[in-house]
Amino acid sequence: MIDALSQIDFLASANGSVWHRASALGKLGLMGGLVLLAVFTPSLRLLFAVHLVAWLLAGTSRVPLRLLAAAAGYPLFFSVLFAAATWDGTWEAPLRLVLRPLTASLGAVWLVSTTPYPDLFAPLSRILPRRVADGLFITYRALFDLIGRAERLWRSLRIRGATSVPPRQRLTVAGEGLATLVLYGFERSQRLYATMMLRGHSGRICGCRHYAEMSRADWLVAGVGALVAAAALAWWRVR
Amino acid sequence: MSHLHIPDGVLPAALWLPGLVTAVLLILVSARSLRQESPQQVAYQGALGALVLAAMAVQVPLGPIEYHLSLVGPIGVLLGPASSFQVMFVASAVLAFLGHGGLTVIGLNALVLGAGSALARPGYDMFRRRFSPVAAFAAAAAVAQAVCGLLWMGLMTVGLRAHAWSGRPDGGGGGRFGVLALVGVPLWILGVAAETTVAFGIARFLARVRPDLLPAAKDTRAAEAA
Repeated sequence: MIDALSQIDFLASANGSVWHRASALGKLGLMGGLVLLAVFTPSLRLLFAVHLVAWLLAGTSRVPLRLLAAAAGYPLFFSVLFAAATWDGTWEAPLRLVLRPLTASLGAVWLVSTTPYPDLFAPLSRILPRRVADGLFITYRALFDLIGRAERLWRSLRIRGATSVPPRQRLTVAGEGLATLVLYGFERSQRLYATMMLRGHSGRICGCRHYAEMSRADWLVAGVGALVAAAALAWWRVR
Repeated sequence: MSHLHIPDGVLPAALWLPGLVTAVLLILVSARSLRQESPQQVAYQGALGALVLAAMAVQVPLGPIEYHLSLVGPIGVLLGPASSFQVMFVASAVLAFLGHGGLTVIGLNALVLGAGSALARPGYDMFRRRFSPVAAFAAAAAVAQAVCGLLWMGLMTVGLRAHAWSGRPDGGGGGRFGVLALVGVPLWILGVAAETTVAFGIARFLARVRPDLLPAAKDTRAAEAA
């Protein structure tokens, strides 16, 4: 999961597919539409069509297939569990329960792997309370730093034989390791606060305003949106 | 079990929509109650939010399975109910954007994690009257994790029943809780044990190195204020 997160974050800024040039707002709208259609449609044909569109979007975003499968396949365990618990002997119900979350997670991976996080969070920060919006930015910024530290910590624990001790002791050692990260987080927050003050923090972290800047690539987003809307109108009630 | 995030399209809208509304209302209430806090607290909150995500990403090998921590209890004790609920909401939102847990169920995921973390500080205050800070921290984490797991299984049960009642084409055969319980209950027990032990380690280290980061008991705080 760590590798997948880091790679997705890297691809969002470094890759150059046509979707990277489209505005975050347009892509958020398209992804939201896909998710809602997948969740609400009673039509299996429409669900298949939306799922196909999600694969098409993700497949053309230059995300390596292995990464795509790793990131989008996360809800499979849960969906299969739920499908097993509700199985009525038909193939339709489990198929829906697997396709819906898979479509949504493919859409999410397409969005985050083609949109840098300041653009992605900027529209959300306009609607969330100030503290929560700031928390969103700060959490994401701190995430990769802490993940890197956590990874190094785990590696050194393994090298020093922490994984060969009984599970109870292993977890206590893991807890003590995490406590060092709590301390680091506390010190980091003090440094960050000082930096924010030095840079003239106005009481709110504002995301960049590029999220709504339209480009030619947005026509493609609009085109896909129109295609999906047409499919929804045509097949909403078709089984 | 609590941070096996619920994905999109599994639970009915009658369940996730009220969950989303409740979570947003709680976010507004928490933001209002914390408006006097300094931006430094927001930065600390952000750092601990990142720690939650980092802990969820790292696998702790426990025999045949690899366990992912959630740190619901420790974050709840360290930050208090309002801040920790915000942290859990943000963590659920970030994970949803990464395809882990659904966008429509951000509210429910945040409520499951947030309920546990919101209970942790009051639990810590209660246990602190009888036990040492380290034991109280671990006990509060146990309560938080247990509540999260129970809520998660409660939601799944309601979800299964809703599928049975909905009459939709994917209504299923009525929902067999046994299948869910077979996987969920052992994971829940394992989760409570693992999170409690990790919380014990965190508290033991903090008590030795930076005891000021551990919250003082309520009666101690009241005495200090007086």
